[in-house]
Amino acid sequence: MKKFILLLIGIVLIAAMLAPSVLAESKVKITVWDGFRWPNEEGDKYHWIKSRIAKFEELHPAVDIELVEVAWEKLGEKMNIAIAGHDWPDIGPVDISDGAVNLKYVEQGVIEPLDSFFTEEELNDFFPAALNAYSYNGHLYGIPTSMTVHALMLNLDIFKERGVEPPVDGKWTWNEFVTKMKKLTFDRDGDGNIDVYGFSTYVLKGYYEAWPFLMMDGGKPLSTDNTKYTFDSPEAISGLTKFASLKFNHKVSPMEMGSADVGGCFQAFANPEKRIIAVEPWASWAIATLRNNKKYQMNFVVAEYPTGKTGESVTIGGSGGFVVFKQKDKEKLKIVAELAKFLSDAEQQYTFAVNYGTFPALKSAQAMDPFKDNPQMRQAAEMLKYAVSLPRHLNWPQIDERIQAQLQLVLNGEKTATEALKTAGEQVQRFLK
Amino acid sequence: MPPPRLRGGGIILVKREVILIKGKFSKLLIKNFAEYKWNYLFILPKFLLFFTFIVIPVIWAFFLAFQEFGIFETKWVGLTNFKEAFTGDLFWIALWNTLRYTLTVVPAQIFIALVLASLIHPFSRKIQTFFRGAYYFPTVTSVVVISMVWRWMYTSKGLINYFISILNLGPINWLGSSNWALPAIILMSVLTPPGVGIILYLAAMDSIPESLYEAARIDGAGSITSWIRITLPLIKPTTLYLVVIGTIGSFQVFTQVLLLTDGGPGYATTTLVHLIYNAAFRDFDFGLASAHSIILFGIVLIFAFIQFKFLSTDVEY
Amino acid sequence: MGFKDILLKIIKVIFYIILFIGAIIALFPLYWMFITAFQLPNEVFSMPPKFIPTVVKKFIPLLLQGDKEQAIFILTESLRNVKILFIDTGLYRWFMNSLIVSVVSTLGILLFDSMAGYVFAKKQFPGRDFLFWMMISTMMIPGQVTLVPMYILVTRLGIKGSLYSVIFPPLAMVFGVFLMRQFMKTIPTELIEAAKIDSASELSIYWKIILPLSKPALATLGILVFMSVWNSFLWPLIILNKDYLFTLPVGLKSLQDKNLVDYGLLMSGASISAIPMFIVFLFFQKYFVKGLTLGSLKG
Repeated sequence: MKKFILLLIGIVLIAAMLAPSVLAESKVKITVWDGFRWPNEEGDKYHWIKSRIAKFEELHPAVDIELVEVAWEKLGEKMNIAIAGHDWPDIGPVDISDGAVNLKYVEQGVIEPLDSFFTEEELNDFFPAALNAYSYNGHLYGIPTSMTVHALMLNLDIFKERGVEPPVDGKWTWNEFVTKMKKLTFDRDGDGNIDVYGFSTYVLKGYYEAWPFLMMDGGKPLSTDNTKYTFDSPEAISGLTKFASLKFNHKVSPMEMGSADVGGCFQAFANPEKRIIAVEPWASWAIATLRNNKKYQMNFVVAEYPTGKTGESVTIGGSGGFVVFKQKDKEKLKIVAELAKFLSDAEQQYTFAVNYGTFPALKSAQAMDPFKDNPQMRQAAEMLKYAVSLPRHLNWPQIDERIQAQLQLVLNGEKTATEALKTAGEQVQRFLK
Repeated sequence: MPPPRLRGGGIILVKREVILIKGKFSKLLIKNFAEYKWNYLFILPKFLLFFTFIVIPVIWAFFLAFQEFGIFETKWVGLTNFKEAFTGDLFWIALWNTLRYTLTVVPAQIFIALVLASLIHPFSRKIQTFFRGAYYFPTVTSVVVISMVWRWMYTSKGLINYFISILNLGPINWLGSSNWALPAIILMSVLTPPGVGIILYLAAMDSIPESLYEAARIDGAGSITSWIRITLPLIKPTTLYLVVIGTIGSFQVFTQVLLLTDGGPGYATTTLVHLIYNAAFRDFDFGLASAHSIILFGIVLIFAFIQFKFLSTDVEY
Repeated sequence: MGFKDILLKIIKVIFYIILFIGAIIALFPLYWMFITAFQLPNEVFSMPPKFIPTVVKKFIPLLLQGDKEQAIFILTESLRNVKILFIDTGLYRWFMNSLIVSVVSTLGILLFDSMAGYVFAKKQFPGRDFLFWMMISTMMIPGQVTLVPMYILVTRLGIKGSLYSVIFPPLAMVFGVFLMRQFMKTIPTELIEAAKIDSASELSIYWKIILPLSKPALATLGILVFMSVWNSFLWPLIILNKDYLFTLPVGLKSLQDKNLVDYGLLMSGASISAIPMFIVFLFFQKYFVKGLTLGSLKG
């Protein structure tokens, strides 16, 4: 028994010693973190970045690149600790769901500004919204590679079942929307209970599927200069009231609407065993899933959020990409910046758009028409025009938490829109300084 | 001979003990070292590991509570983080929720473990093994899976609403209502079988010599009386263990809540560790996170003291 | 064969029934976890749930009906999660990593914690209570805040990213010492005194008397530690960067999509992850012996 243990420990020792390989002193070592993307035939979800890295190493023999694979969900935690432990990578990804570069990292000074590595011409090729998401205090702190918007997904089978026409060109006013939702809420099996609902969604901090409804009458969370809370304006209150009325007055939404159950919400919409919701808003990643995923494939179209008093549709957009972390060595910074650009050029953005369900952040990539065969993505791409980004405030996560908590209390019937938005305003004051 | 280390972490602790130790210590230092040699040697491996991987990080975290953490420069800010912790809009709600959770779940789970173990104990070894396994195996299911199952059971058309509809009640928006969300999570924890508690109680009950029960029977005691007079007191050490560990664990409840409600609706299920987690991992405010942790630690320590006072015995079989 | 005996028998039967029902309720989530691994993609969320997976219900009947194609289709669909896990991913490596880490940690803790627990339970020495309270109180500090200092410490020690970084920290865990102490307190001190009079050394007292008497506690601790280290997720996730060094929970997580949980895959992973713990339990449970002190309490 003792010998066995010694043997085991010996094995572990050897394994640990073999793990870090000995590199040639003269090579430049670059560490890149990335989350998974789309899988290739063998199921490798990291194949895209692996092939890009291999290409770059071919072009630059003196460079050795190490890839660290991180699940998106855990990226924040792992990254935070690595940064706090002074062990950040050279290049890291920005989760498209986060929408923008992490301002806390920028404020701490761990992200390299990349202004000097782009020409005026190159900068103009980016969509302004994307560039904006990666800028702070006049500097560029990363490279956007993809954009996303939130849009409404419509299950055409249910529409057909009820003889309801989807909105023309994906546009509808609030009243049209409510009328259609009412028709799509019905008792399918005749047992006296409603089985299918027109609309549902969830409310959870960090997620914004519901927000374009709140903003449809002109409401905005913060003033343009990010110094004042404006979500208790009459416009915001009316937006939220309308949204809540879907559940309480028009009764087109199930009890779960407004809860924190993201997974359950998606299952209710997309799982072939369920499909009890006709319309749900999702970020554009859902388009790729509803088109390609064997289990969730659906006959669907994309529509804009209904327009309110402003007459203009609104949606929330975000941008994913790469950032370069602080470098001690100026020479190394040049190579790392080049690698970052290599990972984010128009060709790559086009590839992402075709395979991964994101929109390019570069006009030139968009011009390559990645969505020729993809009507849903094309429809969603139209919405980029109306996309607003979230306020670029350093304490936005805390502000968001307070607002979302109050929203949940409206959607479970415990507060009115006015009370909720006013309470959020009070709680948010300390973070606005 | 390594003296007991009086470091930063120790100062928060048992001040009384420190003074006592200091007094005792100087007297005993002069005495026979050889007598204590083996004691210290037996503790040494554990203590080395403990010191390296627990004490050092804890001390670092402790000092961090008095600082404002920055990557390139960290400032000393005294009690600012503590002030911010106590005056935070979420602190008292989180504390209340955490207390409600702990004070319900811990007694309930220990009671259930005790009852179940007592029911299993009289049976033959084979049957005991069967039930021991049956109640232990569920603890092997990760918290993620259990939470997902319960989340599904709490949906509007889920199992729980189905049951109460038989009584002509509901349906209730369990995880979405401020009144029911925390009770729902508490129920989940209470109904998850305390496999560990059962095994420990069974182990403790197994060690009680039969002769004690025989003697009691000769004296005319019934089974309930011997359960109260013999079994319960003799398993107190296990009870103390379960109570303390249970309290420590419940005060740190987080994963289940994250998976079921993420602290909502509103803040109905936000717990203290939520605040710590958000401060550290979302806001990059490690100083505040440490301050919260120390406050949490202080509260749990008080509970532990009380529990030791009531349940500590020198029981031998 | 009096009335009392019959009553006792009836009570025993009632207890048995209660326990049995309790066990069924307790085992339900586990059962659901296992069968979800084998459900057809569409059936994962059926309401009412398909308590018996289609593959079990239909495979043989289909074969008998001569519908070989359909039968094989159902079989392969049900096993697709298993295929993904075993063939498409590094599951085998993750499994072995977890095994090495858990076994070494468990053995180490059983040894060190029983030694320390014995001393805390039975011996007096300066600083004993102080040390004990120091150990207990560190359990009360939420793990989140010690992650960063541990990370820096592990980096400075030069073991960051290697399996050492996930083996050593668990060895510092304190609850085992607490558990052993509580249990060992119940061992009669006379036994130790008697052995001392027979001039037994401290080591042999520990090895020949204390340890054998503590088998149930050791078994319990072994199970608990193995489970804790096997399932530990956050720390390995943060400290391990190489895919081939991942422990099982970390590896399985890397397969999960953020918004779209593939429940079938998740449950398959969880089921595979659960199997070693059953084995460990079965291995240790033979040490749950009744009445250990009986033999030693003579006269």
